[in-house]
Amino acid sequence: MRNNIVAVTILWILGLVIAWESGAYLLSGPLQDPLAASKLPYLHAVLATMLANAGVLLEAASVTFSQAAVGFLLGGLVGYLLAVLMSVSRTAERIAFPYLIISQMIPVLGLAPIIFNLVRDMNASRIIIAAYITFFPVAANTLSGFRSVEVEKRQLLYSYAAGKLTTYAKLMVPFSVPYLFAGLKIAAPLSVTASILVDMLGSRNGIGVKLLYALYGGNMDIFWASVVTSSLMGIASFLVIAAMERLLVPWQVSLQSARRAA
Amino acid sequence: MIVSTTVDRTSATSPVISIRGVNMVFTGQGGQETHALQEVNLDIRKGEFISLLGPSGCGKTTLLRIIADLLEPTYGSVSVFGRTPRETRLNQKYGIVFQSPVLYEWRTVRNNIRLPLEIMKIPKAEQNRRVDEHLEMVGLTKFANSYPHQLSGGMQQRAGIARALAMEPELLLMDEPFSASDEFTREKLNEDLLRLWQISKKTVIFVTHNISEAVFLSDRVVVMSPHPGRVSKVIDVDLPRPRSVESTEFFSLYSTIRHGFEGVFHQP
Repeated sequence: MRNNIVAVTILWILGLVIAWESGAYLLSGPLQDPLAASKLPYLHAVLATMLANAGVLLEAASVTFSQAAVGFLLGGLVGYLLAVLMSVSRTAERIAFPYLIISQMIPVLGLAPIIFNLVRDMNASRIIIAAYITFFPVAANTLSGFRSVEVEKRQLLYSYAAGKLTTYAKLMVPFSVPYLFAGLKIAAPLSVTASILVDMLGSRNGIGVKLLYALYGGNMDIFWASVVTSSLMGIASFLVIAAMERLLVPWQVSLQSARRAA
Repeated sequence: MIVSTTVDRTSATSPVISIRGVNMVFTGQGGQETHALQEVNLDIRKGEFISLLGPSGCGKTTLLRIIADLLEPTYGSVSVFGRTPRETRLNQKYGIVFQSPVLYEWRTVRNNIRLPLEIMKIPKAEQNRRVDEHLEMVGLTKFANSYPHQLSGGMQQRAGIARALAMEPELLLMDEPFSASDEFTREKLNEDLLRLWQISKKTVIFVTHNISEAVFLSDRVVVMSPHPGRVSKVIDVDLPRPRSVESTEFFSLYSTIRHGFEGVFHQP
């Protein structure tokens, strides 16, 4: 089982490398495309650029990533509390839910400058936008977790004369953890993307700035290196959450592998 | 003090559960009414093993849920240990076992059994003692630290029973606890349950649709019929324990109950 996953991962990476390199070769070799370097440069060339500019890229990435992380945590907390509130009171849900839906209709590209004009601070804007992106998937998934608790599991606690607080502590919260993680896994890469987007709206630093300047300056090496760095940030954020899930939800992970084996 | 001189064991004590004129009417979405229980009267004595037996729709689970205060009767009165079902529930006086094990999958077997004890605010040392004792009693000591999904269905159900027994309740309510088990597992679980009951001498109300299970386990079988749900007969099972499913007496009692049901089904 474990070996299988490793083999699949290696195969997957190998497939990506081969597809990328042969695509780049096709453009620059047989097709003689003059824009080959900007359309699809060789992967090894991109990696070399990344290595050569590792310091600058890492610094930019860490600015963007750390603020995405803060916003992600903040948004996760807000989303979770909203879910608790909506599960406790139907009235609260009826009042809050339309706002939540409307909040998802506003394009982030339009919202980011508005937020920036309000707070006049790039770092705060990044954090707010990342939180804004995060809270909805977390709230929606956690709420659906609360709603999925089986009736008999509740009745068991009812038969013990457990109060509302105890019911949340012993049942609702632990039951909904896998749902919370489903929301967090969706939100984590999105919060990184949101933070990069804010970079592009006139920030001084951050990976988004590198991306934008390289694009305008025609520096395709740096552009591609920044793009790959950005995607790696998104992947890293997902993997961190997935690792946390393995740690915090051992019953769920082993349940899934048991189902797969069956 | 009143000293009873009668030799009849079951009538020697006054009832611990008294059900008087209980009716349950469910109103459907279209406004149509279903009479789930009609004029149910029943007394259950201390330490008795009682089965509520009948086909689906006879209201046996409804009756159990009324005793457990999971449902309120439309009218009629129920007294459990001289109190209302609500007071009995709030005083944590009964343990309940559902049709499915209802284990919390994020808790190990040990911590599932501990759950009611945590809520009852029993001291930690006493919790551990009770959990260990009941793990042993249902033969799950080796699986104490396993998660529920790592257990077979029969073992899960045993864990659910241990959880109810660990509360050391005076009353054990069981809602078709073995109906999802295969015949072999069921027989084994029945024997286990009987052994546990004989040790603890709790009052047990056991809902089932399996005639031989009811005869095998019970002091008295409350036979119920559907449409409307009601008690049609109460049968004393005077067979000595351990009971053999293959004995003539067992079979004759089984047949009597079975014929009773045929009468119900063949009504026009």
